[in-house]
Amino acid sequence: MNVTSSPRTGELTSDDTRAAAPAATRPVPPPPSSRRTRGAFLLMGLGVALVAVTVVAAGRGQMAIPPAEVAGSIAHRLDSGLEWVLGRVGVTVDLPLDIGPLPAHVQGENTLWLVRFPRVVLAMLVGAALATAGALMQGTFGNPLAEPAIVGVSPGAAVGASLVFVTGTSALGEWTVPVAAFSTGLIATLLVYFLSRSGGRTEVVTLILTGVAVTAVAFAIVAFATFVATPEAREQIVFWQLGSLNGARWVAVAAVVPFVVVGLVAAGWLARPLDLLSLGDRAARHLGVHVERVRIVAIVAVALLVGAGVAFAGVIGFVGLVVPHLVRMVIGPGHRMLLPASALGGAVLLVTADLVARTAMTHADLPIGMLTALVGGPFFFWLLRRTRSRAGGWG
Amino acid sequence: MRRGWRRGRAPARIAPEQTIAAVREVSVDLGGTPVLDHVSLEVRTGEVLALVGPNGAGKSTLLGVLTGDVSAASGVVEMCGRAVHEWSHVEAGMRRSVLLQQVTLSFPFTVAEVVAMGRAPWANTPMEDDDEKAIAAAMTATDVEGFETRRFNSLSGGERARVALARVLAQATQLILLDEPTAALDLHHQELVLAVARDRAAAGDAVVVVLHDLNLAAAHADRVAVLARGRVVDVGPPDLVFTPELLSEVYTHDVEVIAHPAGAAPIILPRRARR
Repeated sequence: MNVTSSPRTGELTSDDTRAAAPAATRPVPPPPSSRRTRGAFLLMGLGVALVAVTVVAAGRGQMAIPPAEVAGSIAHRLDSGLEWVLGRVGVTVDLPLDIGPLPAHVQGENTLWLVRFPRVVLAMLVGAALATAGALMQGTFGNPLAEPAIVGVSPGAAVGASLVFVTGTSALGEWTVPVAAFSTGLIATLLVYFLSRSGGRTEVVTLILTGVAVTAVAFAIVAFATFVATPEAREQIVFWQLGSLNGARWVAVAAVVPFVVVGLVAAGWLARPLDLLSLGDRAARHLGVHVERVRIVAIVAVALLVGAGVAFAGVIGFVGLVVPHLVRMVIGPGHRMLLPASALGGAVLLVTADLVARTAMTHADLPIGMLTALVGGPFFFWLLRRTRSRAGGWG
Repeated sequence: MRRGWRRGRAPARIAPEQTIAAVREVSVDLGGTPVLDHVSLEVRTGEVLALVGPNGAGKSTLLGVLTGDVSAASGVVEMCGRAVHEWSHVEAGMRRSVLLQQVTLSFPFTVAEVVAMGRAPWANTPMEDDDEKAIAAAMTATDVEGFETRRFNSLSGGERARVALARVLAQATQLILLDEPTAALDLHHQELVLAVARDRAAAGDAVVVVLHDLNLAAAHADRVAVLARGRVVDVGPPDLVFTPELLSEVYTHDVEVIAHPAGAAPIILPRRARR
């Protein structure tokens, strides 16, 4: 048996002492619970962080609303909402949730509920979707550097969006760009998958290289679209590819929710097989994993998650790469914890990034994709160096 | 996990000395090159069957055919009374476990997590209750207890090999296929691994093991199958099969078979020039 060699960091002294010890079965050792405990703490911590960053983000902007007033506004809405629901089922109660101050400014309530919250919630959903998709990709390909872009979702989506901008079509009204982007993203992904399939199996390397090929063609189409576009459309294409949550509304949130929910449910089903897949395709199959089925479900889930996010927010890179890695460093690679923690972490990251995007410069909305790439690029490089120094290269 | 919903039952054990897996007249081509040529072989419960032969003889391919990973161009492959491809992945996982030559892990799981992966086919079945017992027994048998919290990728080659074997044993199947389990191991652990294989055979399991060390095969296998150029040259008890003539021809190298002075398994050595 050839075991891939790597620098030996553990000590080997146990052999001699063990050989002398009686070989009788010892009592079952307690399971290593430290990772599980840390996982629970991380999930809780991220949950708290998400609530905190949401309240802060909703309060910041051209009209500042103190966090206490934001929390008060949420509490009041929650109170009246719950009372209304209970009233529908015939229970009339006065819930004690309407606590805290309401926004002092006349327009405060409207600003919060019509402008800020839709944007914050969309950031949350898109962040969760991208990070979960990244974790799924890395697990499915057993490659820590995989990210959703390798199966062509975002480049494919860019094709749809840029064609809409170029042709100036508005067949579906305000939904034209999201629907076109989502469809072409999905088509590109399925194209990558089916082109790389042969004899009922997909090889990881073939799939990644097919992704490279499809991505190249997609970028060529986008480049051509940029070339023939009017200056105005050209600007739209460029800015769409930089990503932004500007102008997010509740309808967009409502459109994204079902895809994210389906994607997250699929991710839950995939958690256990993805753990086994880290042993390699063959070993996973020997343990009862239907590797091809896992792979197609994962790819479709990624296409839905990323496609839905990209459709409304444009291309936002590196979230899917960075977040799962950070989570893995804290709680280890087990997907049952990694996937939910990545979803929460992605949500926190993108809400924060969007807060920076719209408040860093007054009267300007920075492209959020630019911000995430600015942070993600150096991180990617650091990851590369670290893996290299630990594993002695990629060979 | 979800204990309320349980699928499947443990497969019925096959009685001792019955055929648990068999290949009949199997031929395999890989990229146009014939790798196996009308190979027939039976694996029986209660025995350790060693596959030996020179590099490129088709040992690993034969193991791949038995697992269902490699499709035969012609011939029949059976496992537990059915064609191997008729079992679902999970059903097959309850019946046979496999240790591959290459043991890799893409993410830094701990040893305990890796061994626990061997229990995957039994998830949501009543046998899930045996998980802890099976894992502990497997780790004791392979001498890796105390490694639980260490990361698999931080272990030495030999330690990884034993952890991988523990994962295979934890799967608790009646058919166990091991591809060169001793290659990375020191002398003590080589003996330990084959003693484990014999224990499992004595308990009614069937163990197929690819070996390069003919002395290990002679000492521990109930039967050996010698492969060369994609054919089974001979099958039977090692003392009958391992003759100087056959081994010299198969390995294209003069081989001596020397009777052990104390009556243990014969000693097999390549003939070497005096220095």
